[in-house]
Amino acid sequence: MSDKLFKKVLVANRSEIAVRVINACRVLGIKSVAVFSEADRGSKHRFAADESVFIGPPPPRQSYLDIGKIIQAAKETGCEAIHPGYGFLAENSEFPKACRDAGIVFIGPPPDAMLLMGNKVESRIKMSGAGVPLIPGMTASAVDPKVFREAADKAGYPVMIKAAAGGGGKGMRIVHQPNELNDALEAARREALNAFNDDSVYLEKYIANARHIEFQVLADSHDNCVHAFERECSIQRRHQKIIEETPSVALNEQLRTRMGDAAVAVAKAAGYVNAGTVEFLVDEKGAFYFLEMNTRIQVEHPITEMVTGTDLVVEQIRIAAGLPLSEQMHHLTQRGHAIECRIYAEDGENSFMPSTGRILHYTEPIGPGIRVDSGITRGSEITIDYDPIMAKLIVHAPDRPGAIRKMINALHEYKILGVKTSKRFMVDVLGHPEFQAGRTYTNFLGRHMGERLSAVDDHVALAAAVASVASLTTRRGITVGSGDGPAVVPSPWEALGAWEIGDSIHE
Amino acid sequence: MNKHEFLVGGKQIETQTEKSSEGYTVRVGNQSYNIQQISEGLFSVAVDGRRKIIAAATVNGTTFVDIDSVVVELQEPSHDGFAGGASDHAEAPDKIFAPMPGKIVKLMVAVGDTVEPKQQVVIVEAMKMENPVPARAKGTVKAINFSVGDQVTTEEPIVELELAK
Repeated sequence: MSDKLFKKVLVANRSEIAVRVINACRVLGIKSVAVFSEADRGSKHRFAADESVFIGPPPPRQSYLDIGKIIQAAKETGCEAIHPGYGFLAENSEFPKACRDAGIVFIGPPPDAMLLMGNKVESRIKMSGAGVPLIPGMTASAVDPKVFREAADKAGYPVMIKAAAGGGGKGMRIVHQPNELNDALEAARREALNAFNDDSVYLEKYIANARHIEFQVLADSHDNCVHAFERECSIQRRHQKIIEETPSVALNEQLRTRMGDAAVAVAKAAGYVNAGTVEFLVDEKGAFYFLEMNTRIQVEHPITEMVTGTDLVVEQIRIAAGLPLSEQMHHLTQRGHAIECRIYAEDGENSFMPSTGRILHYTEPIGPGIRVDSGITRGSEITIDYDPIMAKLIVHAPDRPGAIRKMINALHEYKILGVKTSKRFMVDVLGHPEFQAGRTYTNFLGRHMGERLSAVDDHVALAAAVASVASLTTRRGITVGSGDGPAVVPSPWEALGAWEIGDSIHE
Repeated sequence: MNKHEFLVGGKQIETQTEKSSEGYTVRVGNQSYNIQQISEGLFSVAVDGRRKIIAAATVNGTTFVDIDSVVVELQEPSHDGFAGGASDHAEAPDKIFAPMPGKIVKLMVAVGDTVEPKQQVVIVEAMKMENPVPARAKGTVKAINFSVGDQVTTEEPIVELELAK
């Protein structure tokens, strides 16, 4: 291990991505520090890290988004670097600046590149100059609804309103007819202001029957820049991805090479360093358009790791420490097929309405080529304070049909009771003939999920039989507090995380 | 032998459970299942020659059972049936509740307005997402109990309607 690597890293995030980064630190022999809010006192990420620091009340602005508190926590614990994960401060260019001022390394891109790519309007202008193909639409954000009406008429309906500071599906609206435009503008502005503290929006043509295909790129500070192939992320609800896979069935070798080259050109034009993702829309004819670059590790990065045999978070840490890309990053190949399902606390049977509660039962699937990146355990409390992602289930198999079968079985064996999930919905997507045929477009859910494959009625008798046995065998959980019904207390093995017998003797 | 009763979607189901040498035998109508417990809350059943792993957990009189990613909810008939959330209020379409605790970001109706079923009346923000809440019946807005910016629970109606006859 290089002596240039950090001794201790603070992870400025929570839940599954915080646990993921902490694990990357551990394999590099780096100590990790977690931060946690009042709502996360008992959360898994806190106990996965070697140390943890309390940073305030549940609202993100007073804890996970508070740059001052996080920098202070890093200084107090002697951290040399901070990993932001995704979401929260990951794409706020003030954060890398504040890190630099405090003499702490930010594990991510330089602030200038982040600022450029963070503004969807500015980055469109820059990339059109670099010769990267763009979707027709406005080249600047505007306030006057008239400007939007004219741009929409010119591009032709349907059109898409997007937040200039956008990401994660927030502040986006599809508009099918002129009379929907004003309401959509208002809603997109309000959501953008809430999510990004910036209500600028712009408008593009909406590409129907499009695929959302993104390329992973990695650049070091020694002028090396490579891509690690594509991820297809077309299965989305509310413009937010729920199932991702790689390779994409829509790409042949020639198109893959052209898009990969374009992704590297985008990263170079932006002066990018560290791991990033260049998103494209690909239409039915195979034409591709630059959408945006995400200047962070992505939620769906594990599928790339599965097919390339790499560890992208380890690579991020190495790059931030000034090391060149690992030798293997120059010889990447795609091996087999990987799929990820995002496990959100939301009701797949009721418009993906967020669901809250305590995790009463939790069993992860295991087996060859099955990976779970989870931020929860039995007893975890899912509250309304944060994004409802709980975990990600990732499978790897020699081919796509094998990966689909493995994912369906793994979802069946992944048991999470106490909050609602989209497990059943995703099983029905994966089992759908159109998905299995590879006809996955961004409008897949709206078009194909009206009729469903699974039915509750088929399982009622067996469920009653199991419930009967459960009532005879299950010891009622130990009650904590009062009023809210039985709480399940996690066993020490579930709660302790990174804890080793004899560990402290050597300190 | 143990007898159990459950309510699933308003329908009553009875079971008879007997301990066997290899776990439990449960009769449901004319079906019979042999069930083994693997660990707490986790069970194994062979159905049509295929092994299924099934999870079950009980809270507030409701048992949730996951079979092949389909979750069945079974109620103990004697229990009050506290569940919380919108489903609780299904029999009162004249009152419009938040689907989950959150903050009101927009009210689209005023007192005296008439609303149609499925018409959006209020937007509640929770978990950083905007959740539009529709009316469930035709009627006239009788009262609006909250303002934009207020925090709401699922227990107090945001909007009350005078139902159309």
